[in-house]
Amino acid sequence: MTEEIQYTPRELIAIVAGRLMVDGESVFVGTGLPLVGALLGKKLHAPNMLPLYECGGVDPEPRELPWSVACPWTYYKAPIILSMSSIFGHSRAGYADVGFLGGAQIDMYGNINATCIGPYDHPSVRLTGSGGANDMASLCQRLIFIGLHLPQRFPERVDYITTPGFLDGPGAREKAGLLGQGPWRVISHLGLMGYDEETRRMKLLQYHPGVTPELIQQFTGFELLIDKDVHETPKPTAEELRVLREEVDPNQIFCF
Amino acid sequence: MSDAANERLFDHQAAREWKLNKTRNKVDKRMDLTEAIATLVDDGDSIVETGFAYVRGPFGAYWEIGRQKKKDLLGIFTPGGLNNVWHEEGGVTGCHVAYVGVEMRGLISPFRRGVEAGTLKVYADWSHDGLALALRAAEQGVNYVACKSMLGSDIIKSNPYIKVTEDPWTGEPVCLVPAIYPDVAVIHVHHADKFGNSRIWGPTVNDTAIAVAARKVIVTCERIVDTDDIRTNPYQVIVPSYCVDAVCEVPFGAWPGDMPGMYYFDRRLQERVVREYWKTAEATKEFIEQFIYGTKNIYEMLQIAADLEGIHLLDYVKRLEELAFDATNYAPGFWGIGGGRDWKYEEYAKPLI
Repeated sequence: MTEEIQYTPRELIAIVAGRLMVDGESVFVGTGLPLVGALLGKKLHAPNMLPLYECGGVDPEPRELPWSVACPWTYYKAPIILSMSSIFGHSRAGYADVGFLGGAQIDMYGNINATCIGPYDHPSVRLTGSGGANDMASLCQRLIFIGLHLPQRFPERVDYITTPGFLDGPGAREKAGLLGQGPWRVISHLGLMGYDEETRRMKLLQYHPGVTPELIQQFTGFELLIDKDVHETPKPTAEELRVLREEVDPNQIFCF
Repeated sequence: MSDAANERLFDHQAAREWKLNKTRNKVDKRMDLTEAIATLVDDGDSIVETGFAYVRGPFGAYWEIGRQKKKDLLGIFTPGGLNNVWHEEGGVTGCHVAYVGVEMRGLISPFRRGVEAGTLKVYADWSHDGLALALRAAEQGVNYVACKSMLGSDIIKSNPYIKVTEDPWTGEPVCLVPAIYPDVAVIHVHHADKFGNSRIWGPTVNDTAIAVAARKVIVTCERIVDTDDIRTNPYQVIVPSYCVDAVCEVPFGAWPGDMPGMYYFDRRLQERVVREYWKTAEATKEFIEQFIYGTKNIYEMLQIAADLEGIHLLDYVKRLEELAFDATNYAPGFWGIGGGRDWKYEEYAKPLI
């Protein structure tokens, strides 16, 4: 008889994110939950994953979870610390496989808004602005988005495209001159999404334990395509939770 | 209005003229911070953020700018915006934005209020690399750079200073980013000599580019060191003396931000400031009255922060120092900072988080 494993939505998101990290790839890590997912993946199964941070840290050996992309842990024991234009330059040169970030809104084509809610000239809410998000999506080979799943956060069209996804559909990225393959995965507390090859629209790949595709659709502001192989996300394992809670985020900075 | 500052920002000829007139002589540029801000920061100047917002940001100087009630500044926020707290006091009336916020601690309310009410003019939004390249272009001596950021996004549509064109060789779309030349930069460093040669440990971010791009450069440092010290170890020098107009010794000049290897980010105070003091215009006013107008310098501000925690000032400072990383073997150990400590990070971090 096994004990029921308990976890919080943020822990689940972090674990699903960690599973997407691929050994031997370089990952340009954005702020928030990507910091957790990247470190967790590296500790669990991708020891040779190479993290890059926009403050300039390359491949650090942090003893603790960085709580910011400029946190000293992002360059602790780093073999080199680059300037900001260089870290993005190296990404453009082809040294960044994955960009990994969050944002306020994401639409069905994977465009992300971190600038404003409402019209740009008279916003009802003014947000932070791009930071490195636009550059990561423009320069990295593929992009992972992470965030909470609510209808207003998953609208049909974002109010402002801070960070380009597939823009308005097939061929638009190429026409605009953007590099990389564009959006690849979306992790939310309800499911894991990818993109349809033909239409470039977001589609559901996995629904998290206790959630149904119908429920996810209700929490999405546009029609979500469903992958033919859609399945339930494997539950977090005891080992995943142990590493997350004891080694990655023992102070519950992000996962509470 | 900050329109004139905004025009100067793109005027490479005027920026060059300005720098042709700066001294090349080895002049002792040491100055009191109050005097440096009074003489080098003018109303209506553009001022670019340095460091990485709350990492090696020149907070001591930002607060002094507020204390002296400088008006109509044009802020260039890449990243940061912590000094835009002044906008409700008339200090900052315009800005260029790459990022304004404190990551997971959220948005900076004075900025939000200003933009939403239309009292703080956003001249343009940029990406981080966009502004980094604009500054780098100034440093590298090119009029503009052609990059692959911001293409296809709404930044291109809303920012009138960047252009999309075809690469003349390949025909593919590129985004042209102009060089920018801010009026003022204050750069906080670990060590500087009296002429302005400045050395850091940790990330440079955009600071070398900024030092060359800006017309007036104030260096604030944790410690003034002998110029021989700099000359025997020039490898971490990020600012050459000829760019620098004033050198001010301001220990704890990056507090409540992080100074790599020396003292840690003051998380509790920053969270209190961002989540409480700056949340409303009234509370922001109180914060400014108490912390800025009510003090003479950053040390009196530190005293207020220590009093809020109910501990002695020296213990307060010591705690921040102990939280800084023991980077001895990897970094500034031979400068006599850092150190091989065996303290346990969690024990210190827990009460701060």
